[in-house]
Amino acid sequence: MSAQNTAPRGAAKRGGGYQRPTGVGGFEVFSWFFMRISGLILILLALYHLIWWNLIVGVEHLDSQVVIERWTNPLWRFFNVALITFALLHALNGARYSIEDYIRSPGARVVVKAIVYTLVLVTLAAGIFALLTFDPAVLMAGR
Amino acid sequence: MSSVRNISVGSALRYRGREGMWTWLLHRVTGLGILLFLVVHVLDTAALVWSPSFYDHALAIYKSPLFRFAELLIFFSVLFHAANGVRIIIQDFRPIAMRHQRRFAWGVTAFTILAIIPVAWVMLGPIFGLRGEPGTARHAERCLSEPNAPACLKVTP
Repeated sequence: MSAQNTAPRGAAKRGGGYQRPTGVGGFEVFSWFFMRISGLILILLALYHLIWWNLIVGVEHLDSQVVIERWTNPLWRFFNVALITFALLHALNGARYSIEDYIRSPGARVVVKAIVYTLVLVTLAAGIFALLTFDPAVLMAGR
Repeated sequence: MSSVRNISVGSALRYRGREGMWTWLLHRVTGLGILLFLVVHVLDTAALVWSPSFYDHALAIYKSPLFRFAELLIFFSVLFHAANGVRIIIQDFRPIAMRHQRRFAWGVTAFTILAIIPVAWVMLGPIFGLRGEPGTARHAERCLSEPNAPACLKVTP
């Protein structure tokens, strides 16, 4: 258990970031690359999302009808699927780093991981389900 | 592989890791903060599909002055996390950049502060009566030409 959890991650670097895990392939190498690639993608997706809704549309003018109108276009639903998938998986892997750093007892680590993974993955599933099954006609008529 | 040490928060904060340590810590804190917000935000937005009126109730909370500060904090966290993430990526793939990592850390800090000032003005200005809500002119213009667009029907939670 502990060997499996402590061995493969790259060492923390003094100026920030982590050494790329050594060895060819494996989950830790994949996760190291995933954090960097999803991070770059998220800069575009998340900053666009924040600027659009907070600065251009404005929270004050936001309501369910605004979102329903926006989601009528499948491209924006796809944008949101991409945004929540990259954001939640990037965040979940970051949470995993923190859990492995701070929770030393193997039993507690399993429990905390189980809770956090379940919460984040259920959130992701609910978000993707909502975006893919969304039907504007039903919602606008059903008010 | 790993050493377990129990050190107090006080001595941890006196550890002189300088810019590298502080940006590392802020990267972690902002990341975990964003995750917490994301879970709430994705769930309440997903609820739109089941109950638009529930979503409107949740939005009423987001519109309250207290939450405007929280939203600005999220904006700040994303800006810092993004800028510091770019710094980490550059240092990873161009190791020579490690020579200037302290200067880069200050650059990231300066960028975040400079970028958050106009954002704070737009997001917090209205709650102090310093400026109108962002998007008001855009909304009014649009609803003048398309009064029956869904976004122009007034919803009261």
